[in-house]
Amino acid sequence: MKNLILTAVLSTIIIAVNAQQNQPPYRTKAQQLVMTNEDSLNAGISINKTVISGYGSAFYQRDFNIKQSTVSLERAVLFVGHQFSNKISFFSELELENAKIAGGESGAGEIAMEQAFLKFNLNARHYIIAGLFVPRIGILNENHLPVNFNGVERPIVEQLVIPATWRELGVAFYGTASRLPLSYSVALMNGLNSEKFEHGNGIRSGRAEGSNALANNLALSASLQYFWNDFKFQVSGYAGGTVGLNPRTADSLGLHGGAFGTPLYLSEANLQYAKNGFAVKAIFAYISYPEAGKINTVYTKNISTAMYGGYAELGYDWLHAKHEKAQFASFVRVELLDLNASIPAPPKAIYDGTEKQTHIIAGFSYLPLPNVVIKADVRLLHTGPQNAELVVNLPPTALPYRQNNQFLNIGIGYSF
Amino acid sequence: MERRQFIKSSCNFCLLATAGYFSSILTACSPAYRAIKTEIIDDTIQIPLYSFAQSDFQFVRPKGWYYDIVVLKKADGVYETMLLQCTHQQNQLLPTGNGYICNLHGSHFDKEGNVIKGPAENPLKKYPTSIDRDKLIIHLKA
Repeated sequence: MKNLILTAVLSTIIIAVNAQQNQPPYRTKAQQLVMTNEDSLNAGISINKTVISGYGSAFYQRDFNIKQSTVSLERAVLFVGHQFSNKISFFSELELENAKIAGGESGAGEIAMEQAFLKFNLNARHYIIAGLFVPRIGILNENHLPVNFNGVERPIVEQLVIPATWRELGVAFYGTASRLPLSYSVALMNGLNSEKFEHGNGIRSGRAEGSNALANNLALSASLQYFWNDFKFQVSGYAGGTVGLNPRTADSLGLHGGAFGTPLYLSEANLQYAKNGFAVKAIFAYISYPEAGKINTVYTKNISTAMYGGYAELGYDWLHAKHEKAQFASFVRVELLDLNASIPAPPKAIYDGTEKQTHIIAGFSYLPLPNVVIKADVRLLHTGPQNAELVVNLPPTALPYRQNNQFLNIGIGYSF
Repeated sequence: MERRQFIKSSCNFCLLATAGYFSSILTACSPAYRAIKTEIIDDTIQIPLYSFAQSDFQFVRPKGWYYDIVVLKKADGVYETMLLQCTHQQNQLLPTGNGYICNLHGSHFDKEGNVIKGPAENPLKKYPTSIDRDKLIIHLKA
């Protein structure tokens, strides 16, 4: 099965590359018209059609429970793109988190490729990408620039349940239907690594992010987007193996390896609406991991068999009626999530009430231009009670756990 | 016909009818995205004016291009064209109910081609048009 899929993927890439190679070495009249040098300059790119752009954000956060404030240049991301021809392009995002990299220092930043892929245009409505990319899952994963979401922090559900920015290595096909405003995508990529899963952050730590991923296990994702008047609907799904070990090692640990062994499933649906200054976003995501108990036994983890999360957000741009370029949007967002909605029967897992959370965020985003944002918000957090079985440091060594907390966030962001 | 078979057939019929009904509703409420395919002749493309009899906008796909052009017939009878190519990193744009979006980085353009959301900074490229008898001429090199 795995060989069949790999053969299909390689064939697709070879066909795309051959199609390019079969083209005449010069640009046709049509191609010259689409991307003249003048156009390139107008679009902010140089004559050799290399594009440099990027985004970034910085924030101030006050944690009222522990009375601690922090500031950080959260992200500075550089896009580099190059158009080899009208058919083949390269896109990349290089991210520096928290301003610097310092070996061995706890809390230091990281430098990572968020995306690096080749894009093969098949026609005006279909293309294939291959490399490190973010699959179309959820709202934020694909569109994570700070000017495009409300709140200084990214939505918590799309950090903990959908682990944005979730990127893996693989190949994906994107298309748009001819008779309906329907777009779709299918992606094949390396799977998650169950050995890296950590209690408290869902499946986030299992991402390989393009770095020496185990690829004995694979994952498939697919999405459908439908545009109807001022609505945008999306559903997407992910199914992938989580044990990428070689067969001998997997067998010795008693785990199901192979392409889709020890599977994890994620399904998600969201809608967005925007009209006359009003904007609504809503999303719900559910993760099923039936064999979490085996992973907990083998790797001494505390992973759940089911997790879910969702949020609803309402915003209003007070400057919309003035038809100005500037936007001043106030918003409120309610997020609910439970990272242990269902757990393997004890003793294979221990319930943790702190993973059941409600977040209420209210604030504003001021955009003097569509590419620059100043944000501020307050986040109220409520969690379930702490499970005494999971407490390592008891009071007074550690402060008593508080189920409620408040955060003040102020931030800036840009994209170009 | 047995009772079970009757119920099954009736349910299937209802499902098909419902699907057909919603399919027609969805098609009617959404922007049709069928493109007129056309050749480029002397740096121009021509489309018959009767194409706008049913709708005030049409998608046009010049042969050999990897981007569509949208043509809008405005209330004053003026035709406006826009290239559906994101001005940020040249990705194809998707038409929505209230404009055009780029799924690559989230740029959003309104129906006039102006940037609503970044990272794009420049509006969509437009081409001048003229009318020659019963044809709309789009000048690609002007």
